[in-house]
Amino acid sequence: MTQGPGWPPLRGDYSVTDTLGRVAAVTLASSMKLPYAAIYGPCRTENLGVEKVVANIISNPNIRYLVVCGAESKGHLPGDAIIALHKNGVDESRRIIGAKGAIPFIENLPMEALERFRQQVEIVDKRGLEDAGQIEALIEDLRFKGEPYREGPYLLSQKRSRPKIVAPEGIDAFLGSGMALDARAWLVVTI
Amino acid sequence: MFRFQKEQSVANIAGVKFGGQPGEYPTVLAGTIFYQGHKIVEDDEKGIFNRKAAETLVTGQAELSEETGNPAVLHIYAKTSIAFERYLSFAEDIWPGPIILDSADSAVRACMAGLVTEIGYADKAIYNSLSLATSEAEVQSIKESDIDSSILLAYNPSDTSVDGHMAILETGGSVRDHGLVPLAKELGMTNLLVDPGVAPLGSGAGSALRFSVVAKARLGLPVGSGIHNAISAWTWLKSKSPQVRKSCDASASAMQLLASGDFLLYGPIENAGFIFPAAAMADIMVAEAVRDLDIWTVESHPVNRLV
Repeated sequence: MTQGPGWPPLRGDYSVTDTLGRVAAVTLASSMKLPYAAIYGPCRTENLGVEKVVANIISNPNIRYLVVCGAESKGHLPGDAIIALHKNGVDESRRIIGAKGAIPFIENLPMEALERFRQQVEIVDKRGLEDAGQIEALIEDLRFKGEPYREGPYLLSQKRSRPKIVAPEGIDAFLGSGMALDARAWLVVTI
Repeated sequence: MFRFQKEQSVANIAGVKFGGQPGEYPTVLAGTIFYQGHKIVEDDEKGIFNRKAAETLVTGQAELSEETGNPAVLHIYAKTSIAFERYLSFAEDIWPGPIILDSADSAVRACMAGLVTEIGYADKAIYNSLSLATSEAEVQSIKESDIDSSILLAYNPSDTSVDGHMAILETGGSVRDHGLVPLAKELGMTNLLVDPGVAPLGSGAGSALRFSVVAKARLGLPVGSGIHNAISAWTWLKSKSPQVRKSCDASASAMQLLASGDFLLYGPIENAGFIFPAAAMADIMVAEAVRDLDIWTVESHPVNRLV
């Protein structure tokens, strides 16, 4: 399936080599070059980092495998978070079920996107493996395997909803969260 | 600039004062040593490092502190508790001021709390941090320790708005049963330092600045951040020269201070050379701006030393 020039939709610390390939690779806290992967790069956090990985994968239905490799980022454990998200999803508070890292929450992706991620890709768990040659051999085996995902790209809306805030009358500057600036006294006050 | 209606508390940790009204006290600056990837560390599991180089860095920060009037804190990061023992022994020999205890591993942080208590160093230690990630075992270790100073990390992944950060501190929001402020008090903490937990640029870094003002206004506690992390994670900036990256780092630090920051976790201690002047400059600007607001700047402030 041809990918448009806008892929991947989210900027980040990654390299794109082949938009038609079947494999994405997350190198966790390790730095390595994996030119056979469609997209590869590190992921150091168990929340925002994982969200970016998911968003960039589901926007390309050609990707069917996610290789999770390299050294885990201690304390954060993003590799564990990706695998737990894929296996278990998230609970009502949007915590990744079963993830052991520090703050494993997915806030900015709809449930539908998470479900799509779980359906679209198969995880290849190679956490701890830092030998780029071995990982490349694995990716080479998978890079043309199978068909693209049955549905088109899942694109997240770039439009952010803005909460409607009505500032109370008679104040000089509104700071939000119940605070304001009284400019006559240059005083930050509770309203 | 402005002053807060709510009384602003001042934390005194090993003689270093954090907090107060904007412009009252100089900003406290904490440089990190032995961080992940620090070139002076030869073995981060065992804590083997180049002592001479470490001494130069700590002394350099202390000299800049003396010159500018901005108090310094030594922020110690350790991967393992064995490494921390070595780092602490070094700090004891060379650094009389406060230290921040930090590790990505909660078990290591718990060991740190026990160790500083054992050697009578707890009154100089600042625990980094109480947060959503604080485990039950960690809570127990802190409870049994003599540490009475902690950073409260208000990062709220389920609601990254300013109100979401506040909820983590006050009530726990939708992700904790209790807020971090009541938890800290329950654990015997008397010096509470609030940190919004700065997200990367594009993911809400800017909200940390408004949060700083709101948190001080609502809680009256000292506030600061590691705004440096937002800059170091900025992919676009990575292709620019070191000079450009340092300029952005220094600018971000000054912005945090202008947004009523009382302390700054400014990142690698090597950056002291450009962070201290930037912070001193911002402090002078703020002190001059609040002169008409009945705020009295302390004698040691950069405004009384450098201009």
